[in-house]
Order: sequence, then C-alpha cells, then structure tokens
Amino acid sequence: MTSIEKDTKIISSMELKVDLNSVYLPVRDLIAKDIQGELIIIPIASGLGDLESEIFRLNETGRAIWDKFDGKRTLKEIAKDLSLDFKGCPEDIEKDITEITEELLKRRMLIEVNNKL
Amino acid sequence: MNKDNKYIAQSPLQDFSLWDRLKLSRRVISFDLELTARCNNNCRHCYINLLAGDKKAMLKELTFGQIKRIVDEAVTLGGLWCLLTGGEPLLRDDFFDIYLYLKKKGLLISVFTNATLITKKHIDFFKRYPPRDIEITAYGTSKKTYERITRAAGSFNAFMKGLNLLLEHGIKVRFKAVALRSNIHELDEISRFCRERTKDYFRFDPFLHLRFDRNQKRNEEIKSERLSPEEIVAVEKKDAERYQALGKGCDKLIMPELAHTNCNHLFHCGAGNLSFSVSYDGFFRLCPTLWHRDCIYDLKKGNLNKAWQDFIPKVRDIRSDKKEFLEKCRKCPIANLCMWCPGHTDLETGEMDSFVEYFCKIAHARMQELNTYKGRC
Repeated sequence: MTSIEKDTKIISSMELKVDLNSVYLPVRDLIAKDIQGELIIIPIASGLGDLESEIFRLNETGRAIWDKFDGKRTLKEIAKDLSLDFKGCPEDIEKDITEITEELLKRRMLIEVNNKL
Repeated sequence: MNKDNKYIAQSPLQDFSLWDRLKLSRRVISFDLELTARCNNNCRHCYINLLAGDKKAMLKELTFGQIKRIVDEAVTLGGLWCLLTGGEPLLRDDFFDIYLYLKKKGLLISVFTNATLITKKHIDFFKRYPPRDIEITAYGTSKKTYERITRAAGSFNAFMKGLNLLLEHGIKVRFKAVALRSNIHELDEISRFCRERTKDYFRFDPFLHLRFDRNQKRNEEIKSERLSPEEIVAVEKKDAERYQALGKGCDKLIMPELAHTNCNHLFHCGAGNLSFSVSYDGFFRLCPTLWHRDCIYDLKKGNLNKAWQDFIPKVRDIRSDKKEFLEKCRKCPIANLCMWCPGHTDLETGEMDSFVEYFCKIAHARMQELNTYKGRC
C-alpha cells in the first residue's frame, strides 16, 4: 500500500472536523515549491486535489500557515506562533487556521498525525 | 468542491498566471530529456532512431545516476516541467525509476511514445503517478500505412493495443501525426481517428527536419518522405482548425518589420531562454534540433549550471557574416512563414546561416495561400 493509499484510507474513514488540539502534517505525496515568492503545491501521486493536472497555489496567509505544519505543533500552538509573527488577534488566526486545515484535509493534502499509520 | 477558496487557488496549467512572470526572468521552466535514441520502430522519416538492440547506442546513454544529477540541477535552476522522449523512452529498463525520480522532484511530466510497448504495468504506474500528458504519434490508421512507415512487422497491432489500454484506463493522451508522402492519402482519416480519441489537442507536422547524426542514407529517406510546398499548404488548408488559426493571424505573419534587417545575430527565437534539451548521450542544446558543433555542451564533462549560465549566452551571441544569408534570409519579410532556423539549417547544410531552397519555397507557397485568404476576407 502506498503512502497516498494509506492516507486516503484514513481520510475517507474519518470526519473532516478540525481539532485545534491536533497535530497535522502535509502528506508525503506532494511537493511544495517556492516559485518567485509563491508557494506552489504539486501532487506526485493520484488522489490529491480535484484534477491531476492542476497546480495549487497558496496565498500569503495560506502559505504562512502551511509553513508551520511540521507534524509537531498543534494548531493552537501554531496559532500562538502566528499571532506573535503577525501581531494579529489569536481568535482570527485560529479561524484562518481552522478553515485552511479543513480545506487541505478535503483535498487530501494534509493528514492528522495522531492517526497516521 | 469550490475550485478556489480564500487560501488556495487551483487552475489549469495553461491559466497559470506565474508563466508570464517566469517568462520575464531568465530561469528554467522546462526541459527535454531524450532517454534513448533507440526505437523498436524504424520510421522512414525519423531524425534520431537507432535500432532497439543497438549496443553501442545503449552504452552511450546517460545512466540513471547521470540523469539524476542533471535533473537535480534543472530543478535547482527552476525546472517545473520535463518531457521524456527518445527514440522510444519506454525501451529503457529503468524508465520507471527515472520517471518516479522526476515525479518526486515535483516535476510535471510529459512522455512522447509510440505506445507500442505500453503494458498493464505502465497503466498501473501512470494511474498511480499521473503524467501531465502522454503524446502518441499516429502514423496511420491502417496496418498497411502504419507499417509502411514504421517498417516493423506487428507494430500497428501493438500500437492499437497500447493506445486502447491507455484510453480504457482513462490515462490522458494527446496525439500528433507527421504528414508524409507515405501517409498523405490517409491524413484525413488519421486526423479523425485522433480527434475521436482525445479531448486534448491533435497536431500534425508537415515539416521534416533531417537527422541529428547526419546519416546521409537516412537523410535521403527523410527527403523522399517530404511533401512538396504545395502539398504542405494543401494539407494545412484542409485542416479547418489549423487553417482558421493561420487565417486569424495572417496579418501578423507577413510583416516586413519582423525581418531583423539590421541585425546579424543568428538567434532571434526563444531557444535557451526558458528551456533546454539533453540528448541521450548527455549533450546539452538550446533546443532539440540545434546540433551545430559550436552549440552543444557535453554535460558528462561539465555541469548544467555552467551550460545554462555561461554557455547559452555565448551561443545566443553567435553572428553571421555571410552576405547571401544577411541579404536574402535576414531581410525576408516572410521569415516567420519559413522553416528556417539555425538548427534546421545546420542539419540541412552543415552551416547555421545558409539559404535553403526547400524552406524558402514552403514560405512562399504559404504566403501565396495567406494572400488569397486575405483577399477572401
């Protein structure tokens, strides 16, 4: 079973509800590249995103959050870090983090580490 | 699912806004890797193919290790897209390793193949690790025509079997055809066959350039397959999509101001600006057909960074001092209807700045047709 098959199996069997006390990590079957200041996500294996031939781009907020998905910190801890970096309201940052995490989970680009095989 | 949300945008590659920004920078966007010059077909018009079992050619091929080094450098220089071509790239025993290595580097991959070697193993692999596209050449729609060109018994059935496997499993394919003396009678049928089998594009090429290895005997075969300028115009005209595109742009195609009358630089094309090619034996070129001795760089002895940063500017600075070329071709107002380019011309004559009568006749035949078209508009 490939990593993407494992990841897909987990995602299909779990709810996409985001838990701020959980730890998340990008799946292994994608590559994130910085191209002229933009973060581009390129799927390696099938099953990520809607269409195989598309490139995904994260905006500035998305990218700042993506860079913090290290498989060690919970979303709450990431929000705390980002509130220091951006001097933003922690509640707003938590909302942004929750939304993007949910979106990335839907696209099978992120995995909850606690459930990782 | 919405295509875009607040944080993530997804778009088809052709709409990728970064392309325009990347074009302004001098960085690698794409590159071609010819994995082998060997092929299981022996096409009459082919500019590269050697026999599938050619031991000498096999020994000259870049190893997987050498390919990895080139790919690593290409990605560092910005590479996003790689075309795996040949010869027939699927002949390499390590094709899957090479492909997967590129994939894991985050490259989008196109594969040019004749489809005759496609097996279920390829299908499973491509389904798991999808290519951006697979481009297949259709030489004919009948066994007789197909095998007259490929000169390989059983190749038509193998082609159909491979193609059907790809299509049945939903692997994205696109087609190209080469318009030849041997298949011109079947060109309409080839076009229909291809368009029925892909939502992606089908293109045909009526321009045959000569061989990279300058094999005289094989070059004569290629010349014998070339269509006359009038036939080329006729097949272009017959293809509604192509003809309409040509017609739409006809005002832009005949423009005296596009002739670089006061410049003796040879390169006015985009060769080496955003892309490059690597031959099966490790020679770097600015574009696939540019094989002049002053324009190739041996990557087995040097490295890609040097080739990209230092060698390309030197090549692009090459100038001509040949009176005939400067007065005839450089000042030609229909240069953009011509097959002339330094690479094609060198393959034809051994020099990059020569006049080639066949190219000139094609350009004039196309001009005549475009003028007729304009007259009708």
